[in-house]
Parts: sequence; structure tokens; C-alpha cells
Amino acid sequence: MLDTQAIALSLTLAFWTLVLLIPFGIWVAHRLADAGPLKSWAEAALALPLVLPPTVLGYYFIVVFAGKSLFGEPLVFSFTGLLIASLIVNLPFAIQPIQRAFEAIPPEIKEAAKVSGLNTWQRFRLIELPLAWRGILSGAAMTFAHTLGEFGVVLMVGGAIPGETKTASIAIYDKVQTFDTAGAGSLSLILLIISLIAIAVSYGVFGKPQTGSQRA
Amino acid sequence: MLKLYIQQTVPNPLAIKLEVDDGEIHALVGPSGSGKTSVLRSIAGLHHPEIGHIECANRVWLNRDSARGPRVAQDASLRSCGFLFQQYALFPHLSALENVRIALHNNGESRAEQIQCARDWLAQLNIAELANRLPRQISGGQQQRVALARALARSPKILLLDEPFSAIDIPTRQTLYQTLAELRKRLHIPIILVTHDLREAHLLADRITVIDQGVGLQTANANDLFAKPRNARVAQLVGIPNLFQGVFNAGRLQWGSSPWAFQITDKGKIPPQSQVAWVIPQAGLSVHSTSQDGRIPCRVKHISALGQIAVIEFVIEAIAETLTWEASAAEVRRLGLEQAALVHLEFNCDLIHIMPLRPINDPRRFMSAADAAP
Repeated sequence: MLDTQAIALSLTLAFWTLVLLIPFGIWVAHRLADAGPLKSWAEAALALPLVLPPTVLGYYFIVVFAGKSLFGEPLVFSFTGLLIASLIVNLPFAIQPIQRAFEAIPPEIKEAAKVSGLNTWQRFRLIELPLAWRGILSGAAMTFAHTLGEFGVVLMVGGAIPGETKTASIAIYDKVQTFDTAGAGSLSLILLIISLIAIAVSYGVFGKPQTGSQRA
Repeated sequence: MLKLYIQQTVPNPLAIKLEVDDGEIHALVGPSGSGKTSVLRSIAGLHHPEIGHIECANRVWLNRDSARGPRVAQDASLRSCGFLFQQYALFPHLSALENVRIALHNNGESRAEQIQCARDWLAQLNIAELANRLPRQISGGQQQRVALARALARSPKILLLDEPFSAIDIPTRQTLYQTLAELRKRLHIPIILVTHDLREAHLLADRITVIDQGVGLQTANANDLFAKPRNARVAQLVGIPNLFQGVFNAGRLQWGSSPWAFQITDKGKIPPQSQVAWVIPQAGLSVHSTSQDGRIPCRVKHISALGQIAVIEFVIEAIAETLTWEASAAEVRRLGLEQAALVHLEFNCDLIHIMPLRPINDPRRFMSAADAAP
């Protein structure tokens, strides 16, 4: 039988991760796109979730979250804790594509916006953001797909409480453990399709990127 | 009117003083990396020199000179500069119309009024029909007109053109020259043109400032610049042919180690026994087939025939110097000029211009104020 509760929980987690992480990711990526003295260190720190084993991350989350609560909810073995862990684990997936998109905007385009009389916010809103939209879309798709598929950190921080922390990837693991191959298969297929669509979006299946002044 | 002086030692040395009148087209010429574009960027507020003062239309845009009052560094977005970038820098996601309208974004008018104003500018530059096209859908020359419309839409106090004609074909360039000439009549603001093409500067500019290694070497109108370069480096940079060295002493110019000397009238600025550079313009040279006192024997080294004009290279074998001389095909025939022929050159001493061999790599040295005076 299809575990719709687990799918709904995964989608809810992915949705909130997106909603909270993408605006923050845009801000951080925009700052990082302009070279600063600590840029390399900041980039390295943000990329850590890519190279650290999920168990290491999970361990530190448990150490930090233990005994703490937010809005009256404990952080360990709760959806809130899972969401915070998801936000941190997904930082590189959200920020890196957006940062690359901001970096790809030719400097003279930004300067032209400046000498056209636009202030900092107007330059960001009217010029840089529209030119970086593909990177933002890519960051969002990667974040969404990665949240759906995250297993190790979710298991360590959240456990497998149905309706609270048992996401689709945990449910698949449980079903395999209990020899429910049909249930595991249908859940896997759904995750596969959703992830494929998300990754296709990030690879630009739905249109060509457009930055810089091109000649006719 | 623009009044500017800027000075810096890093990242590149710069020492420029400039005054440009309203309605004047002023060209900055010099080799690549000489600092021309840095000057333009400093005026626009895209670069901040260590020391300097920039004033335009009686407003101080930059003051980093404690002797001239408190520090001022107005943001580029507030300076009211029209800046035409070398590669146009159009916003690729916006139509031609929106590219122009965005420059009016903060002018306090309604969006409809801004759109109408942007349409008017496109019409004035003869590209009204391209209003809804994206930059990638129009040609290089058309993109440049859109960029020019955007630069002018804000009614700028100064127009800055960074190598505007370098990326477009020659026929398009000719029509843009005309456009610039017409605009200059209407706008009555200083226009600064950065170019490495002296022919273009000669054609378009009222005055030219020659910049080398960040230093303004000379400001003059094109005719004076070619006839009276301030020093050997200027002569070299503006490509004056027949540039030689000699020793000047009390009105007498000795040509290197040769037996020839010329009587020169100078303004008494050059100290006695100075090593100098000197140039002789085309009009100061005459070629004869017969020998006479004061004429210098030489041989024809090479003749390049260019339609009705020929460029002849002479070599003075005694001192291993080469001169070039332009003549009509008829003149070449009359003198019987051919490869290795022996001829005699006569120099008109009144047209010889002598100048110091001044070092040019001192970034602390400004041009004199007289240079920059209109």
C-alpha cells in the first residue's frame, strides 16, 4: 500500500525548506558573488554538507539539538528539528547555482545599471535578479530534489515517527526491511519521477539561459 | 563644463588634468592600458582615484583633495553621466524600449510618460521600429544606438563614450559619426570620447588629450598636436613620421652625428646643448634631382604607390636615417623617382619643430594648467 503520509511529509519538508532557504540563499549568493576577503572560507564552510558523511552531520545536529526546543517543540525527533537540519544540509545545493548565476552577469551590465541611475535595490530587483533567475530555479530544483532524497541526516535527527519525521526515503528503507517490496517500489518510483523532473528543471530543459549582451 | 584632476599610484599610475567645455568633443587617445578608460570611469563614479577633484555643471562629484574642502564621493547613480560602454552593456532581458526607459526610472514621472520619453529617444536615433526587440535580436550598430538613447535619456550633464566605434563596421561607423555631430549641436554638454584611433579623434574632436602610462602628455587641437607635439613621446604616439634626434644649441640644430645643421627659431625654452627630438612636416620637405648647397643627398629606398598618391622612403646613407614623403604620381614621374635613385632633400627650417626628450614615466607630474585651458 502506498504510504501517502510519508510522501506528504517529504513534500511538506521540501516545500518549507524551499520557502525558507531560497530567499536566504539568494542573499548569501549575491554577497558571495562579489569577491570579499573571506569569500573562500565562506564558500568552503557552505560546501561542507557536500563532503561530510550524513552521519557526521547527523551526530552534530543531535549534539547541538539535544535538550533544546523551538516554539515549544523539541528539536530532536521532531519536524522542526528535521526542517532546521534540512535547511543546513541543503545550503550548498541552494546557494552554489545561484551564486554562479550572479557571477555570470558581466560587470559592465551592473555598471550600466549604476550609471543609468538605479540604486542598489533597484539594480538587484530589476537587473540582477531577472538575469539570475535560471540559477535561482536551478538552486530551488536541486534543493527540492535533495530534500526528498535525504536519508542519513533525517534518520539520525528525526528517527522514523510516522506523520512527524518518517519521510518517503525512510519509509522506503522500512518497507525493504519488512520485505514490502511493492510498497518500496511504488514509493521509489514516485521519488524517482519527482526528482527527475526537478533535476531536468535545474539542467535547463525548459529553456536556454540568457545572460550578457549578445550580438544579432 | 567638466573640470577634473585625478592622481593615483595603484593599481595603475594616473595623473590627468582636464577641462572640457559644454558642447566640446574632447578625445582621450593613447595606447591600450594607458589609462583612458580609467579617466572615464572616474568621471562616472565607477572608479575612485586616490586623489582628485571632479566637478561637472558646477557640482562637485568627487573631492579627495584636502586642500579643496571636505571629502565628496557622489555615487555613480547620482552623477548624471551618460555612459556609452564599449560593448554597449545593454540589459539582455529587456526590450530596446525598456533599456531606455529604465534610465528614467527615478525621474519622478509616471510610467506612461517614461515610456513616451523612451520612445522619443528611440525615434530621434532612428530606431523607433526596434522598440520591442531584445538586444540579441538587433545588429551591433542598432544596439549601439539603443545604448546611446539610454545614455542620453536621463538628460545627462556629460556624455562619456568609451571606444564607441571599435566594434562596428565602417559604413555603420560613418552614420554614427553623423549622429554624434548632430547630437553635439543639440546637447551642449561636454562629450568625452575615448579612442585609440587618431584618425577618428582628428575627425570628431575639438581637442585631443594624449595619454601614456597614465599621464596626460599634451592637450591641443588636432592640427596643433600634429604640427607641434610637446615631446618625442607625443610625436611617437600620434604617429608623426620623420621624427629625429639632434642637439640644439643657441638656435642651431645639429642633426645627430651628421655634418648637417639647421638654423631654428625657438622660444628660448630649451636649454643650450640639449638633446632634442625634432620633426619636419610634409610641407617642410622638398625633393630635387640636382645637388645644391644645403641640400642633403639620399637614395630612394622604397616607393609604395597608392592610386594617385605614392609614399616614398628615402635613406640618408651617411647617417642611416630614413624619411618618408608623400607625392602625387605626376610628381614621382617628374622627379624620375625609382628604386635606388639619388635625389637631394631640402629642409624648410621654419617648419622644423623641436621638442625635449622628456621622460614620460613620472606619474606625479601633471600637465601644466596652460595645457588644459580651453
